[in-house]
Amino acid sequence: MPSRRRTLLKVIILGDSGVGKTSLMNQYVNKKFSNQYKATIGADFLTKEVQFEDRLFTLQIWDTAGQERFQSLGVAFYRGADCCVLVYDVNSMKSFDNLNNWREEFLIQASPSDPENFPFVLIGNKVDVDGGNSRVVSEKKAKAWCASKGNIPYFETSAKEGTNVEEAFQCIAKNALKSGEEEELYLPDTIDVGTSNQQRSTGCEC
Amino acid sequence: MSMEASELQDLSDDADYAASQQQGSASMMRCDSEKRSSSSEHEGAELIYLKDNVAIHPTQFASERISGRLKLTKQDSTLYLSWTPYKGQTSNAKLSEKDRSLYTITAVPFTEVRSIRRHTPALGWQYVIVVLSSGLAFPPLYFYNGGVREFLAMVKQHVFLARSSEDANVFLVNDFQSPLQRTLSSLALPSSLPVASGQSSYPSDGGSSSENQGRTSAGADNRVSQYGVRKQKSHDPTRDLSIHLLEKFSLVTKFARETTTQLFSENNGFGSVDKRWNNQPVHNYPEKLSNIAEEKHHESSHSYPEKEPLYDEEPPIDLVDVPADPLEFNKLSLVWGKPRQPPMGHKEFTAFLDSEGRVVESKALRERVFYGGIEHQLRREVWPFLLGYYAFDSTYAEREYLRAVKKMEYATLKQQWQSISPEQAKRFTKYRERKGLIDKDVVRTDRAFEYYEGDDNLNVNIMRDILLTYSFYNFDLGYCQGMSDYLSPIMFVMEDESESFWCFVALMERVGPNFNRDQNGMHTQLFALSKLVELLDGPLHNYFKQNDCLNYFFCFRWILIQFKREFEYEKTMQLWEVLWTHYLSEHLHLYVCVAILKRCRSKIMGEQMDFDTLLKFINELSGHIDLDSTVRDAEALCICAGENGAASIPPGTPPSLPLDDGILYPQDDDVL
Repeated sequence: MPSRRRTLLKVIILGDSGVGKTSLMNQYVNKKFSNQYKATIGADFLTKEVQFEDRLFTLQIWDTAGQERFQSLGVAFYRGADCCVLVYDVNSMKSFDNLNNWREEFLIQASPSDPENFPFVLIGNKVDVDGGNSRVVSEKKAKAWCASKGNIPYFETSAKEGTNVEEAFQCIAKNALKSGEEEELYLPDTIDVGTSNQQRSTGCEC
Repeated sequence: MSMEASELQDLSDDADYAASQQQGSASMMRCDSEKRSSSSEHEGAELIYLKDNVAIHPTQFASERISGRLKLTKQDSTLYLSWTPYKGQTSNAKLSEKDRSLYTITAVPFTEVRSIRRHTPALGWQYVIVVLSSGLAFPPLYFYNGGVREFLAMVKQHVFLARSSEDANVFLVNDFQSPLQRTLSSLALPSSLPVASGQSSYPSDGGSSSENQGRTSAGADNRVSQYGVRKQKSHDPTRDLSIHLLEKFSLVTKFARETTTQLFSENNGFGSVDKRWNNQPVHNYPEKLSNIAEEKHHESSHSYPEKEPLYDEEPPIDLVDVPADPLEFNKLSLVWGKPRQPPMGHKEFTAFLDSEGRVVESKALRERVFYGGIEHQLRREVWPFLLGYYAFDSTYAEREYLRAVKKMEYATLKQQWQSISPEQAKRFTKYRERKGLIDKDVVRTDRAFEYYEGDDNLNVNIMRDILLTYSFYNFDLGYCQGMSDYLSPIMFVMEDESESFWCFVALMERVGPNFNRDQNGMHTQLFALSKLVELLDGPLHNYFKQNDCLNYFFCFRWILIQFKREFEYEKTMQLWEVLWTHYLSEHLHLYVCVAILKRCRSKIMGEQMDFDTLLKFINELSGHIDLDSTVRDAEALCICAGENGAASIPPGTPPSLPLDDGILYPQDDDVL
């Protein structure tokens, strides 16, 4: 029963308005970029099938509104998340400064069972803008923040050009899978001890 | 509104008032510890507070109010709230004794009260809305002799009462959480609305599962689940209320059924009326009753993930029982929803004006727009009336004067931010942040639409200027995403910066609360929507309840920007002018929501959609909803729901004008 093993992995993308959450999601799922995206109202998600070893997973990627005023809606959307992707714009210090807020807000609203070890992934987007000349957040600074939060994996991307997007989401999927496995213990039909041990040791040390 | 108020403030010939006089202790607060004899009161309870002439308005007409006595009692250090209608005397013959007793509030402990919202307008009656931890709210309690402040002060002496940081008129009861959690819980929508008491009027949807599943909705805090499962049949006035509504409603639907029977017996297209009216579960919900939106959705289903990822066996669609629609909705629309007329043209509009330019019969004009909309070239003249920027009884000359004055006023307002130097901006974080948000959003608002397309588009700059000026004009509200969606068609129609600004201001007077920081405006609308669905489609309501969908967040975008993202540009303008007439209801947009949901009900329930799937499904309906038939359905639903529909929508729910006259964001601090 190979299809029995198909599992849903829920990923939430958070970050300030206009950092490129919708663009990242669409670049990863549809391999497309558009200048015409509208500000996201409420929430939406896209799904993509991903394969690890012999197992097929459905990655459900949630895109949410970026304005702080809408943060409180997260209650409805964050629950059951397996991984949270924090996005900032490398050309905007404020979007970087707000990462702490987004992270804390997520932990409060999603209230994962093990907040200490809940997997986050950080993405610094828009590295293509102005050939990198308008960049204000250095890679070093971003990595230092990641280190301070328990070694969060970090990627620098351009959703517009597709740079590093696939890699980032590979890591996101792996981390979501790791976090999802504890829950699978309660689902005898889907447990696969051998695979699960392997996965645990091969997280992306990005 | 003002007529009603003046009419009703004269209580001299009012039966309720007389009753309260006879029963003594008129409108005076009294603190004593006498034991009382009333059967509804528990032994050993101490009377803390008593207030007469506190009324409930079961209908939109204040003249049909039910007056009674509000009490606070205390027993074993728990404070209880009770409200009992006066016996024997009625101010209105239409209200039976039974009707009155349905609203009785019997000793609700404050441990189950989440918050009290007060409304103390300068004119009109003060009232409070008591919201339970479960998310349910009692109907507003109107204090005909004033005294809300004293009431709250008395409550405060006995329970921990904290003013909400988001809304100065909301008092949280026993709220010891952090400010952040407080924000969250104030947002958590009700998880346990009363079961639609379907047993009496509607059979349950083929099972008793609705009784057993006390699951909490999204993110609802623990208190909700703790208290939400409580179902004391004899002590749950909200349950009684829903029975009451359904009883009345069944009369309406019975009437509708009889009417449709006649209609359909003459109409070959649809065959005879379904004998399963009495709510037998229906196999294979008749396809011919499905709708355009659904059919279109099928066509576009390639973009929709058909697979439910967690299960390998998808439930075969046709094997799932879909409970019958209690309204036989598609047939009803033929009875009540009038066909849309062609849009109103210039000549026709001129006929509504007198020689000096006044709209003589504003209601007739609104009715005309409601049933057909407006030709595009004419919108610029009519929208300002609908939005309330022009008074209907203004003359040509007065409007010309208004435009001139407002133009100068706009320039002054605009100057406020234009005069901010780069040096000042450095020290003005709030300004920089707002400007940043606005700059980001205007370049992604309707850029595919001709009026805003292309690089360096002048209209995009004007949009930014208007939004920035508005954020200074209404600094408390500021800028919020979604506002640019509202402004875009207004600018396209008005083609004038100042006029666009003032029309936008007028619109924000009504829908501004959608953007409040505490999301309260959205909260009340989603809540009202859930009540309307409960009223108009019990089985669908039960389905949402069982599937943790009662928060209605999947309708968030619909309501926040009134379907702007759901229809193409021209259709949005058509819908808005219909909504803005407020012809049948100020809240027609909520009936539009119900209409769309009902059109998809067989798909939603047949495919057993969960919250995620439903949200995706709703989002992807965008561009596939037929406007005319949806508006017709909404009209039919609105008429069908009648007073009960209006009573499901709490007073002050946007886009109603705020209840507290003139003060949009009250910062007063008089009680606590």
